[in-house]
Amino acid sequence: MTEIWGQFKSFDGKKFEALDAEFTREVSSLLGGKDLTACFQCSKCSAGCPVSDKVNIQVHELMRMLLFGIKEVLETDMVWLCTTCYTCQERCPQGIDITDIIFGLKNMAFKKDISPPGYIAARKSLYDQGRLYEPTEWEREDLELGDVPELNVEDTRKMLDKTGLMKLKEGD
Amino acid sequence: MVQSYEVFLGCAIPNRFNNYESSMRAVAKELDIKLIDFDGASCCGTVVLKSIDENSWLALSGRNIALAENRGHDILTPCNGCFGSLKDTDHVLHDDETYRKKINAALKGLGLEYTGKAKIRHLVEVLYELKDEIEAKILKPLNGLRIAFHPGCHLIRPSNVAGFDDPELPRKVDELLELTGAKCVPWGLKLSCCGSPLLITSEDIATNVLRDKMISARDASANCLVTNCPACHTQFDVQLIGMKDENGESLELPALFVTQILGLAMGIDQEPLGLELNRISLDPIADILGI
Repeated sequence: MTEIWGQFKSFDGKKFEALDAEFTREVSSLLGGKDLTACFQCSKCSAGCPVSDKVNIQVHELMRMLLFGIKEVLETDMVWLCTTCYTCQERCPQGIDITDIIFGLKNMAFKKDISPPGYIAARKSLYDQGRLYEPTEWEREDLELGDVPELNVEDTRKMLDKTGLMKLKEGD
Repeated sequence: MVQSYEVFLGCAIPNRFNNYESSMRAVAKELDIKLIDFDGASCCGTVVLKSIDENSWLALSGRNIALAENRGHDILTPCNGCFGSLKDTDHVLHDDETYRKKINAALKGLGLEYTGKAKIRHLVEVLYELKDEIEAKILKPLNGLRIAFHPGCHLIRPSNVAGFDDPELPRKVDELLELTGAKCVPWGLKLSCCGSPLLITSEDIATNVLRDKMISARDASANCLVTNCPACHTQFDVQLIGMKDENGESLELPALFVTQILGLAMGIDQEPLGLELNRISLDPIADILGI
């Protein structure tokens, strides 16, 4: 199966038409993005990253793409293979909220339909049930645990309608 | 003094690790921590919803915080994912007025408001503060247990949000576990992610991350692995089943929750500790555990 994410695999032979300052500004305005341009490419982020040896494009490269306004960054595997462990963010000598920036990139990629299919299913269960998984009743009975408190899904749906969770794409 | 909290279970614990909830309740009872049911809790949103849409994540997570806050309670959660998500939301809503206004506008329709009064605490934070009480209650020492303790990412990072332990050299939960006579071994990849957030994206890569970690635990001669997070535990007690190294040697290691270890050492009845629900066999350490 061809994945719809992570299709940007190498810089070799790539030509970038324009360095889009607007894109850099857009990412800088995301949660955690404000210090984005302070990156001086020390690569400490990649040195501590648990998937550095498993991705085509590493974190410090992703950061440079952002600074250069290269939108293809949304197609790199680093975006969705970030485990969200926050090691890069914790260690960044420039205090850049790197992991939070990658969350913002995931948001941008999702809107463009670039995401692993599991996230589409997860969005649906969060909207429909307000939860990702249901309780396993027999285990709870065996351990004499009470019922998990009920959730009024209407409430969470009302709120998620307001934030537009099911209508994130342009044209949705 | 009796402490009381609304207990935020999240989705993963009631789904597949009811033994964590049950052992937490048993230990909490022994230590006079009052756990109040969290009425109306939804999913915390976790890194999954934060990845999809940050506004929806802040709203869903902010609603949970506001529920407890409006009832005048603090929140306790045994899950790193929930802890990270709730703390992170609290951090954003507390510091950023624009987001706070936006989310409160969404909460208003439900008659709720976030103001930031509720404290959000991880179970192990509260247990750590009760270290002396726990030490006094150790009845059955677990000498010979060599624990590879896995703190999990969102318990300690980002440290300006989690605010619990040293992000590069966390020792608080290790200290707790060592009250039982067990030894927490130093291991190279202790701080490294377990890989569980990648299960939704690529099970192969999640498995490779886990394999690296297990080789590190084995190299440190650990005879069990201990966690305080159901997402991490999914890796160690579910995904690990049948995993082998490149020479075909099994990498399985008994995996337990912090509260199961403390409960055993405190001499709590075994039934609520739910050890029969641990999927990887505990036989190699059964004698040490006294089961």
